[in-house]
Amino acid sequence: MTREKLYQQLNRESLAATTRRHFLRDSALGLGAIWVAAENAAAANFSPQHLATNPLSPLAPPLPAKVNRVIYLHMVGAPSQLELFDYKPDLNALDGQDCPASFLEGKRFAFINGTPKMLGHQYKFARYGDCGAWVSEQLPHLSQVVDELCFIKTVQTDQFNHGPAQLLVHTGATQMGSPSIGSWVTWGLGSENSDLPGFIVLLSGGRLPRVGKALWSAGFLPSVYQGVQCRSQGDPVLNVSNPEGVSRQRRRAVLDTLEQLNRESYQQFGDPETLTRIAQYEMAFRMQTAAPEAMDLSRETTDTLEAYGAEPGRESFANNCLLARRLVEQGVRYVQLFDWGWDTHGSNKGESLHHGFRDKCSQTDRPIAALLRDLRQRGLLEDTLVVWGGEFGRTPMRENRMGATMAYMGRDHSPDAFTIWMAGAGVKPGFTFGETDAVGYTPAVNPVQLRDLHATLLHLLGFDHHELSYSFKGLDQRLTGVKPARVIEEILA
Amino acid sequence: MNPRRQILVVTFSCFFTWTQDGLAADPERKIDFGREIRPILNENCVECHGGVQQAADLSFIHREAALSVIEPGAPDDSYLMERVRSKDESEVMPPPEHGPPLSEDQIAVLERWIEQGAEWRQPWAYERPVAPAIPQNADDQWSNNPIDRFVLARLQEESIKPAAKASPEQWLRRVWLDLTGLPPGPEDHDAFLRDVAARGDLAYQRVVNQLLASPAFGERWASVWLDQIRYADSRGLGLDGRREIWKYRDWVIDAINQDMPFDEFTIKQIAGDLLPDSTIGDLVATAANRLTQTNEEGGTDDEEFRVNAVLDRVSTVWQTWQGITFGCVQCHSHPYDPIQHEEFYQFAAFFNNTADCDLSEDLPLLRMPVDPNDEPRASRLDEQIRSLEESTWRRESKALQDDFAGWRPIDELSAEANKATKIDVEQRGDRTEFFTTDTLSSGTQITLTANLPEGLQSLSALRLTIAPRNVESALRDSEWGFVLSHVHAELVEGNNEPQTLRFSRVIGDEPHPFKDPDQSLNAKSSEGFAAYSRIHYPRQAVFVLESPLRVREGSKLILRLENRVTLLGAFPLVARRGSLDATDQPGIGELLANEGLQRDRERLEQLRSERRAIPSSLTPVTRERPDHLTRPTHVFIRGLFLTKDKQVQPAVPAAFPPLSEKLPPNRLALARWLVSESNPLTARVLVNRVWARVFGVGIVATEEDFGTSGELPSHPALLDYLATRFQGIQDWSLKSLIKSIVLSSTYRQDAVIRPDLHERDPQNRLLARGPRFRMPAEMVRDNALAVSGLLSTKMHGRPVHPPIPDGIWKPFQGGDKWVTPGPESGDRYRRSIYTYTKRSIPYPMFAAFDAPSREFCTPRRLRSNTPIQALMTLNDTTFVECSRALADRMAQSGQDLEAQIRYGFLAVACRRPSETEVGSLMKLYRTCISEGASPGDGMDAIATVLLNLDEITSK
Repeated sequence: MTREKLYQQLNRESLAATTRRHFLRDSALGLGAIWVAAENAAAANFSPQHLATNPLSPLAPPLPAKVNRVIYLHMVGAPSQLELFDYKPDLNALDGQDCPASFLEGKRFAFINGTPKMLGHQYKFARYGDCGAWVSEQLPHLSQVVDELCFIKTVQTDQFNHGPAQLLVHTGATQMGSPSIGSWVTWGLGSENSDLPGFIVLLSGGRLPRVGKALWSAGFLPSVYQGVQCRSQGDPVLNVSNPEGVSRQRRRAVLDTLEQLNRESYQQFGDPETLTRIAQYEMAFRMQTAAPEAMDLSRETTDTLEAYGAEPGRESFANNCLLARRLVEQGVRYVQLFDWGWDTHGSNKGESLHHGFRDKCSQTDRPIAALLRDLRQRGLLEDTLVVWGGEFGRTPMRENRMGATMAYMGRDHSPDAFTIWMAGAGVKPGFTFGETDAVGYTPAVNPVQLRDLHATLLHLLGFDHHELSYSFKGLDQRLTGVKPARVIEEILA
Repeated sequence: MNPRRQILVVTFSCFFTWTQDGLAADPERKIDFGREIRPILNENCVECHGGVQQAADLSFIHREAALSVIEPGAPDDSYLMERVRSKDESEVMPPPEHGPPLSEDQIAVLERWIEQGAEWRQPWAYERPVAPAIPQNADDQWSNNPIDRFVLARLQEESIKPAAKASPEQWLRRVWLDLTGLPPGPEDHDAFLRDVAARGDLAYQRVVNQLLASPAFGERWASVWLDQIRYADSRGLGLDGRREIWKYRDWVIDAINQDMPFDEFTIKQIAGDLLPDSTIGDLVATAANRLTQTNEEGGTDDEEFRVNAVLDRVSTVWQTWQGITFGCVQCHSHPYDPIQHEEFYQFAAFFNNTADCDLSEDLPLLRMPVDPNDEPRASRLDEQIRSLEESTWRRESKALQDDFAGWRPIDELSAEANKATKIDVEQRGDRTEFFTTDTLSSGTQITLTANLPEGLQSLSALRLTIAPRNVESALRDSEWGFVLSHVHAELVEGNNEPQTLRFSRVIGDEPHPFKDPDQSLNAKSSEGFAAYSRIHYPRQAVFVLESPLRVREGSKLILRLENRVTLLGAFPLVARRGSLDATDQPGIGELLANEGLQRDRERLEQLRSERRAIPSSLTPVTRERPDHLTRPTHVFIRGLFLTKDKQVQPAVPAAFPPLSEKLPPNRLALARWLVSESNPLTARVLVNRVWARVFGVGIVATEEDFGTSGELPSHPALLDYLATRFQGIQDWSLKSLIKSIVLSSTYRQDAVIRPDLHERDPQNRLLARGPRFRMPAEMVRDNALAVSGLLSTKMHGRPVHPPIPDGIWKPFQGGDKWVTPGPESGDRYRRSIYTYTKRSIPYPMFAAFDAPSREFCTPRRLRSNTPIQALMTLNDTTFVECSRALADRMAQSGQDLEAQIRYGFLAVACRRPSETEVGSLMKLYRTCISEGASPGDGMDAIATVLLNLDEITSK
């Protein structure tokens, strides 16, 4: 049997199974019920039907979709909205004064203790673009593309510690063990590129996020939907290189023999899983060339590299922005970037508003602006959504850890209001939704929960968030959880 | 959650379809609530009138609540019937916008049921299993034991014949992998075939006995248990630091190897610390409760994460032992099962009084000897130490009592604090109390200046009471506690130089404190009298002077309290409120001078130092807080720990049999309840789990959900047969259970899938063939190590660090190193169960093959089939090394290539290859050589093929 024939056979089997399922569902036989039960046990509501050969086969979303692919930029540590986007002249007026008791009542803080002082903006703001959005002087490049951005200034979380808060952003749950957004999405839609993973994670180097792989875990979904971490140094995908001394030619010979023997197993046992396994080995073989190619930045022009500030062979956020474009260009469904070092408490130089924070701004500002321009220029922004954010906001008060005045300037965690922006398909460009109070502490109007954000993301991708669910431990589990979530209609284009 | 859709699944999944025939034919027929009524209620009513939504205060989950609309015996007087019969759109139930009206048949069944008395029955799984009659069939030549009779009866209903017997070698490989997680070697293969030829079926029994006795059995089945109990070597969440708890993993392996009865296995893990005369093994078993995540991230509220851990223990017990999803009851009553919101917290109360409280140092810890040979001695010493601590404290703590010591309150007190801490005093009752306000600085020193009580002639001791800042609310919402790292006292008489008071002892208010109160006298230590790390109740300690000091009228006492401990970089543990008493009575001094007490204290010190000399692993275990410091348990409004509702006492849900009345309602009573004869679920859940590991799918496919939203059993009578037998004659013996399963004819069937049957029963629920499915992650790896000859069979010990791909190991905490031993070390090739399990960085091979990362109880694993798996077994260092080793093994095994290939194939697949298989492999070798590969590389190519065979990845 040639390889092509094998695939034909697999697809035939998979189709036959579908028809048979319909037949059985309609038949009044008890065993028909068993079949359906077995199939449905895993998924109660919307149940993506991938090809038997490829659990990532591309599927049309159940509802009309504006967004086809997502790039999510997470600034781990939680960047200060008050030094980037949320401009509050009144806050400057209060700088250095004791925080009013009303700001502290009923609040829990990670580090603020007793009565802290208010802290004004540490950087200048100005209005940019046709939309006139306020942007800090720390983002000179992003301010030039501000008309692409759709800001939400009033995102809320109920977590004020990094670990649970990051989990809530990416999995909708505060404990480890639930699927991440990228897993839900690739489960629901598959991937357009069968030679690359559908959900790719890129880290800027430095520290891994504290809950690690739990942020891109498939949770209770099959592990094929977990994020695959790709790297700009070493093997771009784990084990994608052949062992030393094994040529691609020899690997081909090994796989040909393996296929012959596995086909004999199939002849003997008749287990369709065997055919699936053969297909997975073929996909792995293709991935061995596709992944290094996709991850090879030296294929880019000098101009492009310069625009992003990318340097092939290094681990950096700039490289990852460029990689993100390359990956979505090739049909990867969900690309997740994590940058690190944004936890600006003021407890040391690196985590202070006047030092580390400035470095983080300058490392990310140019590449993000370049990414948006590049996606726009290539027409990718038509159906790609870019999301930028942290896991919570920062207080309008200066942190006073253990009641002391700290050597550096910083702000504590603030879960009640923070800024997230989106750009690209399906959202209003040059638009701001939600407004915080006079000091950027809590929403004045239009609070948005993270689960609303999740509902909106799923909506843009063509899913009703109620419907995209997976039955686990006796419950229909969904990204948006049990509390009511709403699609933020106001920001939809 | 959406009950409607769930219920649809449930109705589809009924193995036994029930038609509503016979109503007309047999007017006397008794209506079956579970099969006929509950589905109607679940599908049409409970979305609005269930556990979550109780529109019009009506619920169809419990009979009591439903009786408001049902008049047993009188359908025409039942409001329910009026509403479902109504033709008026605004009246009819369910309302048109929620669904179609009930069918005539459904209405008739409801009517008949009410007429017959509206008898309500629990969901099937809530009723005790009863040993079923074993199906008899005179023509049955196939069955080997009663399991087979149940299976055959079901097959015959479907007119399906069982599969042919598997070949002996197919069965041999299957049973080796199922029992030990390891494959048989070529010698085992040959020996078995000889034995089968000589002794027939006895050979099968002999292998099973041999495998059950093998230490590898415990390693395989422990891994099944560790998924349930969420075993990991790290703490999870915030920093995910290393947690030393591997002694528990070894305990599980040993307990399974010793075939510890499952009831005992249960009781020790949940409440080993509460057993009378508990041994060190009983204590290390309680580490099971400590496998919850802790959060060491700076600025995290320990109480929040302690509560999370308690709730996880509740969910894990329900999931693991009862197969019931309990987590949702944290926020509201169960949507389908008869469990109320409040019952969740009553159950949580069993676990809410353990001493652990999310501390980064994992207290309380057990010093578990590294060398098991030291265990008896250590156990004996611990017992002596603990009882001496108890008895000395019981005698000494009299000093705290008002009437014994003649305490007199100090009511003239002023207070100062340094740094940013603000402090004030106020009168409360007969004394003045200091209290802090607002900011608390790290390292705060509090200085108290007091006038001694009038008429006090001398000073023999001081009693310090430290209370929560808000005494009234702290019992419900505890506050951060305190550690008095150092207490310094001076007496000032007139204008004289202050005189430093010299204390000999500090007597605290609990027998086994986390921190030694005497350390408050040691200026160099930051330990001391403490409420660590939370305070609910006022706490007291007596500071005893070396010798009574004569005092003059008007003397001032100056007391400096140093609070040096700060937790999580954010929370200074500072005394927030307190007061003083003084005494001039000699009683305390006399009490402490008692010769017996002195001797006991010396003996205690001696025993402690003897115990410290035994090298030990500090293992987190479960301990109960003393009665007088019990934490109350409240219902949380909507599941949030910050909003507490009424207080509750420990209890099990009313839908279940009650706790034994002979026992106090604590964890031990709970553990005994789980394994009591009357518990309907524990044995069923366990036998179902074992069945699922062996056959790939459980008799109840939703292993995690035996409740009303789970699937019904495919073979209900078989499940109950296995459960009652397991609880009864098998006396909770896992080995007996497994033995009966693997010696059945059901298990011995050929795994070949008959095409016609695959269409009807793709998951093999009817068991018309032998099991064949992809092995779990650990088995895939251990199998490769074993067939290549690399596997180390060393058991037990600290976690090991096999090769891991570059760039994976980047722990958030830099100190957690992954050091891989070289190829000469056996530790590079240990069984997978010994691999270091870090929750935030799962071992890539395990993660790729669907092993859970063990944050929570994982009742069953999924089985995926992915390219990442292929890359793993083709290119990962461990597998590349296995392939090399197998190639070498083959090269040394025979004279010519063909013999070598035949040997390798047998070693890997436990069968002799076909001619075509040999031909394909020979051809591969020649292709490699013709392309310039060395003979070694050619053999390696063959080995790579063998290690990646579908047949090898499947059991």
